[in-house]
Amino acid sequence: MNNILISIIRDSFSSATPILLSALGGTFTFYANVFNISMEGMMLIGAFFGVLGSFYFQSWVMGFLFALISGVVASLIFSLFAILLKTDEFLTGIGMNMLALGGTTYLLRNLFNVKGAFISPQIKSLPTWDIPGLNKIPVVSNILNKHPFIVYIAIILAFFVDFIIFHTKFGLRLRATGEDQETARSLGINPEKIKFSSILLSGIFSAAAGTFLSLGYVTLFSENMSNGRGWISLAIIVLVRGRPLGILLMSLIFGFFESAAFSLQNINIPSQITSMIPYIVTILALFIYSVYKEKSTRSAKKEVEKIKEI
Amino acid sequence: MKSLNKILTGIIGIIFSLLVGALLIKIQGNSPINAYKALYDYGLGSWFSITSTLNNSTPLILTGIAAAIAFSSNVNNLGQPGQLIIGALSAALLGYYLPFPGWFGIITILILSGIIGGLYASIAGILKKLYKMDEMLTTLMLNFIADYLTLYLATYPFLDKKSYVPATKMIKKEYFLPSFKYLNSSFFIAIFVVLISYFVVKYFKKGYEWRMMGHNPDFSRIGGCDNEQNLMWVMFYTGFLSGLAGALLILGGTQHRFIKGIGANYGWDGVMLSIVGANGILETSFFSLFFGFLKSGGVGMEFEASIPSEFIMVLQATIVLLVVSTRSVFSYYGDKIKAYSKTQKVVKAHE
Repeated sequence: MNNILISIIRDSFSSATPILLSALGGTFTFYANVFNISMEGMMLIGAFFGVLGSFYFQSWVMGFLFALISGVVASLIFSLFAILLKTDEFLTGIGMNMLALGGTTYLLRNLFNVKGAFISPQIKSLPTWDIPGLNKIPVVSNILNKHPFIVYIAIILAFFVDFIIFHTKFGLRLRATGEDQETARSLGINPEKIKFSSILLSGIFSAAAGTFLSLGYVTLFSENMSNGRGWISLAIIVLVRGRPLGILLMSLIFGFFESAAFSLQNINIPSQITSMIPYIVTILALFIYSVYKEKSTRSAKKEVEKIKEI
Repeated sequence: MKSLNKILTGIIGIIFSLLVGALLIKIQGNSPINAYKALYDYGLGSWFSITSTLNNSTPLILTGIAAAIAFSSNVNNLGQPGQLIIGALSAALLGYYLPFPGWFGIITILILSGIIGGLYASIAGILKKLYKMDEMLTTLMLNFIADYLTLYLATYPFLDKKSYVPATKMIKKEYFLPSFKYLNSSFFIAIFVVLISYFVVKYFKKGYEWRMMGHNPDFSRIGGCDNEQNLMWVMFYTGFLSGLAGALLILGGTQHRFIKGIGANYGWDGVMLSIVGANGILETSFFSLFFGFLKSGGVGMEFEASIPSEFIMVLQATIVLLVVSTRSVFSYYGDKIKAYSKTQKVVKAHE
């Protein structure tokens, strides 16, 4: 029993990482008021090019590098349409997601001549970290030690992103652009530049999330393997209104549910049912959030009325 | 934007994307001319190709106008894939278990599967109405839930034991929709539904309310419409259309059973089509025929020019991006030029 619990908690960290990373990327665009729904597609692109680089050079470094470059290119395409050509961000996002889905499926077929999934011993997965002090503590070591290194980096990044957004000049400008683009422009900030950098960061983060999916979580690429994680991360951003530390907490909760659902398969619950759980949890979380919000706006209204009565 | 304008900008975008596609084919080392010739031959070259184009476009027309009606009413219903697959599964089960005879059975199946799709979409509508939950995220999540739910039902309770993949049993023969010279009658049903939808949106009071809600929700509220109620109706109606698309896939397609992956990408194709058709019902149906052409032509490109049929997915996404950007560039710079010429006139008059 204990072992099962430990493995569930351990797996929740790896399940949380892709959601966490792409949500952290998306929070930049959230604060810059860019309606960015392309995390799903960028994650898929990162996952594919991670495998591509890792397969051709037989090294995870090249895979990671390829994924990051692909993320940059994808965000360049997004910015070309959304910023330069003034296309609607929502429509561009849908186009990007479709391009990612079609493009990766096409390249999978074209380069590796397979349909569905690509598995090869030549794909090198991300290295795991054996943290010196940690490996001596019994239970904690089982949970926290020897994850692929991105897991640790993602958690550190959550704090780092929080620092960037709320305590640096760039973060201030980012939020100012998001609040009111024209006011920001009148103060000498170039909102296009800020928006572009937020999209760029989002692309890089989502691509890294994708690499973790295809080189850390498993070592293969399969069609549409992001499977809604980008959308879940969008939901998380909405839930915590972009706060990076809130994102960290929420992704860990989601990761827990995902790995708990996965372990339900051990007691003969069909995988189709357990796979539904993350999406149901997302709807439930959105539900709780909106009920809570309704209540707080109602109580705020009451307070205003009280003040008026006085 | 006028209807002709929508179609013209659409066609300009499509020409651009075909050029981009030609470039991609060239990079890959194939001849673009051969590839596009195969696309044409298998998409429009003969009567058989034309019918396969029309058959392919049938579900696209329905999911396309479903997305178009939703978007033009300012309802972000991205749940077409889920609603379609729920409709398809219900049609497959009804087709096996329903005791009604021939035509009466077909009509019952179509309407019931549509209603089930509509009710599935209404979940998101109810959540929006009662709890103000963003319908975009809920419909997206419901897509995945529908996907796994139907897969579960086809794998365990309703599995056809003779089949090698998760699939339900085949529906009764009398419920197969007939084909006339390869053209399946489901195409005419789709066209009929398009005309009905066009009249509903254009000439009915409810349709007017939907359109006003799309143009300006505040205006329609002040004018006395119940926006939340209308959102529910839009959700139900568009869900009905997607569910109907799924049912036609079962009754009119080639499989006549629910099989893993039958929904393909029809739902998302519908979303893309409504974007390309700028949310107009007739325009979207027009471009649905084009996407159907790409689908049947893509098979030809795979056979004749050995270009994987997945290339069509890339081409479709490129079309979406380029059509939308063409339109925005036209309107943005068109406005600028107009404003410039106006100021010039004013300046001249002043002088």
